[in-house]
Amino acid sequence: MSDALHFAEHTLQEIALIFMAVVYIIRLLWIFHFKAGRDRQAPTGAFNTTPAKGALYSLANIMMPWGMESTRKKPLFYIQFVIFHLGVVSAILLSFIIPYGPSLLESQFIAAILHSSIGLACLVGCIRMIRRITKPVMRAISSPDDYFSLALLTAWFFFAFWAVPNNTQNGETILLIYFWMTAFFLIYVPFSKISHYLYYPITRYYLGKTLGHRGVYPFKRSNRPEVVNH
Amino acid sequence: MKNRSYKAEKVIELLGKKLNRQIVGSLAACVHCGMCTEMCHYVLTNPDDPTYAPAYKGDQLRKIFKRHYDWTGRVFPWWVKAKSVYTDEDLEALKDTVFGKCTNCRRCTINCPMGVDLASFNRMARGLLVSVGIMPEGVAVVSKDQWEIGNQMGVLKEDYLDTLEWMEEELQDELEDETVKIPVDKMNCDVVYSINPREVKYDPRTIADAAKIFHFAGENWTMPSEGWDMTNFGLFSGDDDLGGSVGRRLYEKVEELRGKKLVISECGHGYRSTRCEAPNWGKLDVPFEMESSVITMLRYIKEGKIKVDKTRNQEPVTFHDSCNNARSCGLFDEPRELLNLVVTDFREMYPNKAENYCCTGGGGAMSMTEYTPRRLKSAKIKADQLTATGAKIVVTSCHNCVDGLTDLIRHYKLDIKVAQLVNLTANALVIPEKISLPEEAAVKRIPEPSTDNVLAGKKILIADDEPDILTFFSTVLEDNGAEVITALNGKEAVELIRKEKPDLVTLDLNMPEMDGGKVFEILRKDPELADIPVCIITGRPELRRLIYDRPVKAPEGYLDKPVDEDTLIINIRKILEVKKHSSK
Repeated sequence: MSDALHFAEHTLQEIALIFMAVVYIIRLLWIFHFKAGRDRQAPTGAFNTTPAKGALYSLANIMMPWGMESTRKKPLFYIQFVIFHLGVVSAILLSFIIPYGPSLLESQFIAAILHSSIGLACLVGCIRMIRRITKPVMRAISSPDDYFSLALLTAWFFFAFWAVPNNTQNGETILLIYFWMTAFFLIYVPFSKISHYLYYPITRYYLGKTLGHRGVYPFKRSNRPEVVNH
Repeated sequence: MKNRSYKAEKVIELLGKKLNRQIVGSLAACVHCGMCTEMCHYVLTNPDDPTYAPAYKGDQLRKIFKRHYDWTGRVFPWWVKAKSVYTDEDLEALKDTVFGKCTNCRRCTINCPMGVDLASFNRMARGLLVSVGIMPEGVAVVSKDQWEIGNQMGVLKEDYLDTLEWMEEELQDELEDETVKIPVDKMNCDVVYSINPREVKYDPRTIADAAKIFHFAGENWTMPSEGWDMTNFGLFSGDDDLGGSVGRRLYEKVEELRGKKLVISECGHGYRSTRCEAPNWGKLDVPFEMESSVITMLRYIKEGKIKVDKTRNQEPVTFHDSCNNARSCGLFDEPRELLNLVVTDFREMYPNKAENYCCTGGGGAMSMTEYTPRRLKSAKIKADQLTATGAKIVVTSCHNCVDGLTDLIRHYKLDIKVAQLVNLTANALVIPEKISLPEEAAVKRIPEPSTDNVLAGKKILIADDEPDILTFFSTVLEDNGAEVITALNGKEAVELIRKEKPDLVTLDLNMPEMDGGKVFEILRKDPELADIPVCIITGRPELRRLIYDRPVKAPEGYLDKPVDEDTLIINIRKILEVKKHSSK
C-alpha cells in the first residue's frame, strides 16, 4: 500500500469524520436553540393514542410503506428508496472495513452483499437523476445542491462498487478516488441536503408527538369500500 | 446591495421571531423527493403546473428562511436556491402561493417521508403577510369582523338573538310544546353550546335541530349571548393574536356562565381552533372540558338519553371527513359510528378518514373570491370522489365543507345534497310517547319552505342590475307565494319602493344610476320607509363596512352571492318573522 493510499484510508478519513462531527454538533446546537412549540390542549381522538406512541409510530413510519398513501401507491419508488439508502449504508461500511477489517472482504458472502447493494444503489441513483432532470415538477423543486448531491452519491457508489474487492494489484486509483470522495462527502454532507437524516428524528418526533396527542397517529389508513353497483 | 421595502424587511424580521423547533425542522428537512406532489388536490387537477407542488409551494418560504437563517443559504444562496424578498411585489407573489394555492389541508404532511409539516409553515407564512397587511381582501374583511364584531360573519348581537328566538318559536310550533326552549346565558349549565355564525345567517335549522336534541336528551344547556362564535379566522389567516383572542372570548364566557362543558357544533376549523389550537395561540390553560357535538350526540344515543330511528334517513349517504377534524384532531371514528346509527345506507368514499381529500373550500378559501376558479378546478377530485359513491347525500361535520361541497356540487352539476350529522340525527329522533305527534309532523324538518306558500301576502321588491339574478329571485319568491316587484337600478328601486311600500326590499350594492348603499341610506332616512326591512344581497361581501358604518340602523339581512334557494327563503322568512314579532 502506498503512503498516499494509507493517508487516504486513515488520516484523511479521520480528519473528515472529526470535521463532520464538529459541524453536526454545531448544527444540532443551532436547531435546539429554537424553542419547541407546546401542546397545551387536552388530548383528542382515540383514547389509546398518546404523544409517545405517536412519536414512536412517526419515527418508524418510513419502515411501514403501507402507512402512507405516497409510499403505498408507489411500491417501486419505495423499493428504490430502500435500495438507495442500503447502498449508502454499505458504502459507508466499506470505508471502515477496508482500513480496519479488510479480512472481512475475503468472505464471498459479505463481498457479494456489498457489491450488489452498492451496485443497485448506483443504478437507482442514475434512475433518480433521470427522473429529476426529465420531470418538470422535479426540475422546478430542484436546486444545484439537489443535483450535485445525487450526482456525488451516484459517482461515489460507482467507485465504491469497484473498490469492494480492495485489490491494489492492478493499481490504487479506484481506491484512492473512493477514499478521497468519501472524505469530500463527509465534509460536504453537513452543508447539503444529504444531512436530512440529522433532521429526520426531529421533524418526525415532533409531528408524531403532536399527532399522537391528537389521536391521528398511529395512523388509520382508509379502507377501500366494496364496489357498489349503482 | 438591493434596497428592501419596509414590508419585506418586516416579514424577514418577523420570520426570525416566529421560528420554533418544529418549523425550523420542517424548513430544513425537505429533500425535494417529490413524494408529496401527487398527494395534493391542486396538483392532481393541474398536472402540468409545477407551481402547485407542495414542495415548490413550501420552497417559497423556505428560500427566505435559507437566505437569512440557514448557513449554506447565507454563504452560497444560489446553491440551495435561497432567495430573499425585496419588494412588495415579491410579497404579493408569496401571497398568491400561500393563500391561493394551498388550503392548509395537511394531506401532504401526512404523506411526507420526512414529516415536513408544510401546512404549519404555510400558515405561518400567511401570518407574516397578514402582519404587514398583505392578504386577500376577503381575509381582511372577515378578520376585521372577528376582531370588531366578535364573529367572522359580522352577525350583530340582535340578529343572533332574534334567530335563536325565531328557532325556538319554530320548534315550539313543530312540537306543540311551549316548554321547548333555547336558553340564553343560563348559569351553571352542564353544557354551553357554541356555534358557527354561518348557522345564524344561512342555516338556522341546524340550531333548531341541535336544540331539539338537547331538549329530548334532557340536557341542562345554554347558549351564550356573546362569545358564541366557535369559529376562528386566526387559523386561516395565520394570525396567532386573533386566534388567541377569539378563543379567550369564548373560554371567558363559558367561565362567566360557570358552564361545565363547552360543546362545539359541527365545524372542522372551529373544532380544531377552539379545542386544540387557541389554548396554544393564546397561551391559555382551559379549565373546563370541550367536545364536538358529534361526540355529544353519539353519547346521548349510547346512554339512552335519546332514541333514534334510522329508517327515517333512507337515502344513500356518504361521509366527507373535514381535514381539520380528521387530520388534525383525530375525529373520524365517532361520526361514522353516529352515522351508522341514524342512516340505513352509509357508503364510504375513498380515500377517507385522515387520508380524505380536502373539500377545496378549506383554509379560508371560500372567503378568497379571487381564487374561486382555481378552487373549483381543483374540486374535480372531490366531485369524482362523491360521484363514485352513488350517494344522494354527503354528510360532513364542518360548515366550511358544507359551503365548499355545495359550491362544487353546483359547479359540477351533481345530484347530491349536503347535510350535517345534526340534521340527520334530529330527523331520526324518536319523539317520546307523551308528546308524540302525528308521523308527518314528527319527521318535519325546520324549515321546509319551498313547497308551502310561506310568503303568501308579502310584497317584496328585488333591486339588482343582473337580469338572471332578478329572474332567479323572482321565481323562487313567487313560488313561495310572494308578490314580487323588480328594479334594475337604484333610482328605479327608490321610486318603486315609494310607490309600492313593499314588506321587504332586497338590494344589490353595485347598480347603475344609484348604488345600493345610497338607496339603503335614502330608505333609512325617510320616516315613511325607514321601517321597511332591507336585505343586502351582494357579490362584494367586502363592502359590508360601507353599509354598517353608515349613521343609520343596520340592514336586517346581509347575504353574499351566490345565494341558493333555501338560503334566500330562510333569510327572507327570518327577517319577516322577526319584524312581525317585534311589531307585536
